[in-house]
Amino acid sequence: MSAPEVFQLSLGPLTGIAFSPDRSQVCVCPNSNEAQIYTRNGDSWDLTDTLAEHDKLITAIAWGPNTNRIVTCSQDRNAYVWTQTEQGWKPALVILKINRAATSVKWSPAENKFAVGSGSRVIAICHFDEENNWWTAKQIKKPLRSTVLSLDWHPNNYLLAAGTADGKVYVYSGYIKGLESKPEATIWGDRLPTGQLLAEFRSPNGGWIHDVAFSPSGDALAFVAHDSSVNIIYASGPNEPPAAHIVVKLPALPFTSLTWTSESSIVAAGHDCQPILFSGSSSGWSLSNSLDDPSSSGSKPLTPSATGVRSGGVGRLGNNEAFNMFKAADSKGQRSVSQPGAGGSSSTASTGLTQVGQDGLLLTVHQNTITHVEAYEWNQNGDVSKIFTAGRDGRLVIWPVTSGGSKGGLAGRMAGLQV
Amino acid sequence: MSEYAFRKINIDALEEEVLLPSDLYDPDPRGPDGVLSDAQRKSGEVRNLVSKGDIPGALNAILSEPPYGEGVDQAKDLTTSSLLLILNSTRAAEIPGILKALDQEQQDHLMAYIYKGMAAIGQGSDVSGSVLLNWHAQLTEVAGVGCIVRVMTDRRTL
Repeated sequence: MSAPEVFQLSLGPLTGIAFSPDRSQVCVCPNSNEAQIYTRNGDSWDLTDTLAEHDKLITAIAWGPNTNRIVTCSQDRNAYVWTQTEQGWKPALVILKINRAATSVKWSPAENKFAVGSGSRVIAICHFDEENNWWTAKQIKKPLRSTVLSLDWHPNNYLLAAGTADGKVYVYSGYIKGLESKPEATIWGDRLPTGQLLAEFRSPNGGWIHDVAFSPSGDALAFVAHDSSVNIIYASGPNEPPAAHIVVKLPALPFTSLTWTSESSIVAAGHDCQPILFSGSSSGWSLSNSLDDPSSSGSKPLTPSATGVRSGGVGRLGNNEAFNMFKAADSKGQRSVSQPGAGGSSSTASTGLTQVGQDGLLLTVHQNTITHVEAYEWNQNGDVSKIFTAGRDGRLVIWPVTSGGSKGGLAGRMAGLQV
Repeated sequence: MSEYAFRKINIDALEEEVLLPSDLYDPDPRGPDGVLSDAQRKSGEVRNLVSKGDIPGALNAILSEPPYGEGVDQAKDLTTSSLLLILNSTRAAEIPGILKALDQEQQDHLMAYIYKGMAAIGQGSDVSGSVLLNWHAQLTEVAGVGCIVRVMTDRRTL
């Protein structure tokens, strides 16, 4: 098994990321109002273009795999569609008609339209207006009551799922009359005028929705919420309650992003800094293993990063050298530094790897919250064989999707680190 | 201080599209009266079970379908005080076993009550901080930090 490829693209967070169709370039936003395009050069990435048009932080980037167009959206309430010309990337303004920040953007599968979520409680479905030569938006307003945080298109190019800050997930029709042929009935609904609400779901404990995704077939919908839950919904038919709403509540910190790798597996990642593979079907889902540390999964599948499962009990500070020093000084008046896991009261019981090393770095590849998980490569069956993740640590990591039992060890993974 | 007065304006009264608690969660189907009578029945049951020494049974009773939301303050207070009675009368050595026997939903509810108990310390309640901290540490060990995150996120306050 190959080790993940790790690249440090920025010292700060990456707020948006998208790969070019051929995976030779990547467009990222290094927590600023500019998007940067890096071109792969062996094991490093060279900055080749900068997309500078936004006034404020770019919140999301999407790169159409067929049309090779980039769309960026920002807190300045604008979105731009970038087209590659011989003189570089040229922006085209999108008329979004929103009065709050744009938060997320996704190309539809056919790439004739894209959806933008925003803080002004609307979803803008944008398409190119030939007559006026600009991108214009149709808005979905009802029944949104809060910021739209995430979006995903159904593979049929018509349906759109949205996750919001009040813990709701909606499935809408994103059909645009005059642009495309009339949609056929789907398992989610049969009447599909623009903006028609087809289904509505809630996170189990009311946590806001970080990410939503349709399964490859489009018959199932998954979302991750801030109540540390992964939810999978199987549709049963138009105007009928779902066949199953499966909730996996985690002992660990919430996930912020997820992607389907096949019809029966999902990779999710978030505040625990490692991508986790889930597998299941309409009869039930369960945690399979972490892509980051498969060797030490075993009976405690989230080790070393399920901060609550580990003994020690104080989250990721539990084995931090500095923390232990202050703890010893506080409780025993000791000045010397005790070895992590050796001096502490209950941390001796901890087996396997500790999450925080002697140098204070996390033992996971990512050093901070992972904010993006997306498919990178597919195998012949159409299943995702590689995913990429990016996060607040400025790292981009390309992981092979492996289900358990594989080796590699931490040393092997660290060998893949290129800074 | 007058320049800060505007901070105290209740902007929700001026906002037309204000998000109400009822938009965020469904109210208890039992209704305020049903919830109250349920809570009274359960607190009696709990007192009985605790006096017999059946702590797991008492916890089980009090942590299933606890009162939440608005307008059920009396039921909430009753349930909270019954729960704190259970926590206070459990021997420390028994705690881990009791916690492992609870299901995930009950663990989340228990965590919520522990935080509620902590918030009440110093406001005339008869609960000791060290008891709550011990329960909290043991529960985090069993249920993980995800349990804490769920309590912090949930608008259905107990």
